[in-house]
Amino acid sequence: MAAGRIVTGADVQRDLILKPDVCVVGSGPGGAIVASRLASAGASVVVLEEGGHHTKAEFDMQESTAYPRLYQDRGNRATADLSVAVLQGRAVGGGTVVNWTTSFRTPEDVVARWREKDGARVSPEALRPHFEEVEERLGIAKVDLEDTNPNNRLLYDGCKKLGWDVDTTKRNVRQCLRTGYCGMGCPVDAKQSAALTYLPDAIAKGATVHADCRARRIEWNGKRAVAVIGEVLHPGTQEQTGRTVRVEPRAVVVSCGALNSPALLLRSGIEQGPVGKKTWLHPTVAVAAIYREPIEAFYGAPQSVASHHFAHRSEGAGFFLEAAPLHPMLAGIALPGFGARMRSDLALLPNTAVSIALMIDGFGDGEEGGTVSLRSDGNPKLDYPFTPRHYECWRAGMKALARVHLANGATRVQSLHFVPVMVRSEADLSKIDEAPLGPNLCAVFTAHQMGGCGLGADPARSVVDPELRHHFLENLWIADGSVFPTSLGVNPMESIYGISSWAAERIRSTLAHS
Amino acid sequence: METRRGLFKKTLGSALLLAAAGAVPVALQKTRERAPRKPLRFFTPAEYSVFAAVADRVLATSPLEPSTELGPLPSRPAAPLPAEVEVAEKADAFLAPLDAGSAKDLKQLLMLFDNALFSVVMGGPPRPFTRMSAEEQDRHLRAWATSRLAIRRTGFQALKRLAAAVYFGSPETYASVGYPGPPYELVRSVNAARER
Repeated sequence: MAAGRIVTGADVQRDLILKPDVCVVGSGPGGAIVASRLASAGASVVVLEEGGHHTKAEFDMQESTAYPRLYQDRGNRATADLSVAVLQGRAVGGGTVVNWTTSFRTPEDVVARWREKDGARVSPEALRPHFEEVEERLGIAKVDLEDTNPNNRLLYDGCKKLGWDVDTTKRNVRQCLRTGYCGMGCPVDAKQSAALTYLPDAIAKGATVHADCRARRIEWNGKRAVAVIGEVLHPGTQEQTGRTVRVEPRAVVVSCGALNSPALLLRSGIEQGPVGKKTWLHPTVAVAAIYREPIEAFYGAPQSVASHHFAHRSEGAGFFLEAAPLHPMLAGIALPGFGARMRSDLALLPNTAVSIALMIDGFGDGEEGGTVSLRSDGNPKLDYPFTPRHYECWRAGMKALARVHLANGATRVQSLHFVPVMVRSEADLSKIDEAPLGPNLCAVFTAHQMGGCGLGADPARSVVDPELRHHFLENLWIADGSVFPTSLGVNPMESIYGISSWAAERIRSTLAHS
Repeated sequence: METRRGLFKKTLGSALLLAAAGAVPVALQKTRERAPRKPLRFFTPAEYSVFAAVADRVLATSPLEPSTELGPLPSRPAAPLPAEVEVAEKADAFLAPLDAGSAKDLKQLLMLFDNALFSVVMGGPPRPFTRMSAEEQDRHLRAWATSRLAIRRTGFQALKRLAAAVYFGSPETYASVGYPGPPYELVRSVNAARER
């Protein structure tokens, strides 16, 4: 079979009509691995990706270049009230181009819950061979403790001193220089993103990837998706060129990621089931800790240590602890206050460690999570109401992080409340309980978007069936993080690869018999 | 949940209603304009002036040396002024491709932020933000940041994040915060060696 290629917006000079076996919408981990699996099985595959095709020569390690170019909404994605800043990738390769490489298999207790509560058919045993293959293809391997940067090492040491579970993580890299710029696109192609692995695999088997092509809507008739309409974007400005790509496939696989997958369904009038509901974010709070010695959290592998000591709590939602890199732009946005207050914090940038507590949302009784609806321009609008369960969890998370840094001898730890809580000793920890929490009173982030097109056996409570096929459109599947019925309690990339690879087998089998 | 746009419209609407009821002199106070260094693509001259004034206070340095528990900081170049970094001009270029809905939100926010009558209604001085003293401007920013009205906190965050992102994302500010910048030489040499 002849190899396919990547077509950019500049290459499309006239309206196109394509008739492949499969149209995959989105080229992140879900879309890339499905495209690879189906192309390898002999299907003709067209991938539509709204983001651009960018390579290491363009990754200049500048935040001011990377966020507008490689992130959704040019780095400004957030909940409608700006209370949660949303870091979400947008490029050929999706979030895998900009994520921090942390790789976990889906926790078995999470899969067990999906089986029990949602009727999921996937099982840890069924996922195992998929994870093994993904780990091999992406070079996923455990980090040596000696290779962690000080920002991560402090989290490790602090947890150890407190007797808490902690370990180094696995990362999907080969010959990594540990420069610290994973979030801006790897400048040496060490990170094994989908753009360097499963997409080239798919292309080698004949798949065509249309970069700069935003899926506007899916046309459907009766129980079948008929066509996907793509708007071609200018590769530089990302403005519409006026050209369209109309794909009329036998099957459609939606892999736009949480937030964008439900938005595509809503734009298309495919509104059966709770589309956009139960969106999970691992909503994340952070603390900054000041040390006498330089930390330089802007250099080194950004994330290489995690603690799941508090993942299962009887008091409320679980959370896990990780580190986050600290470059000046992100620091300026995240650190509290303005003027002299913000300046004095930024002046200590090289001596600042940043740790994060990620709330494991979606496991509480009656927990609703976020909702994706449409803005007037058709882009996703995300609402994510905070509840007492969030506040209890975030306070516990901030206190745990503060204790980690106190155990290490930090001169002080501060929260990211508008008026930060200063913790210099254990006696100060209770101040965290008293500080106000609410939308835009304390910085909250998400880099893990999940749910919104949840899987399940009951069409009234889920969007896709237990094999990720749409409940009502028989030739439409969803393969990305949006199908998770809950959050995961671990970084989601490897789970998205694994479950999408598992679903690709079902899609292939269905296509073979249709 | 109330949308940003809807609430801005209502809030601005009630301010204008009050103006019609007799508070005309306050309401008519205009934005103090300043001249941009580059042709504008997103802001009107008034919007540009409001954002530039916000950036000046969000990125203001303290007249006193920052006290630090770490002792004296290593000697660094002085932080450039927002105007020297052309924060408002860079924000204008960044915002140019913004979608119509978000653009309208932001423009309404800037005008509300500078609205003298709205300032009075909220207990502030009877002047547009651009005509306040530096101390008044800081109080105004703090009042928005900590307001009981969630929409004002959202507005503060939108303006603060934009100003901070543009300024601290500018390489000419790196040295002032002790950031040496990306390791270009290492990356270049490794890429060259791997491609040989």
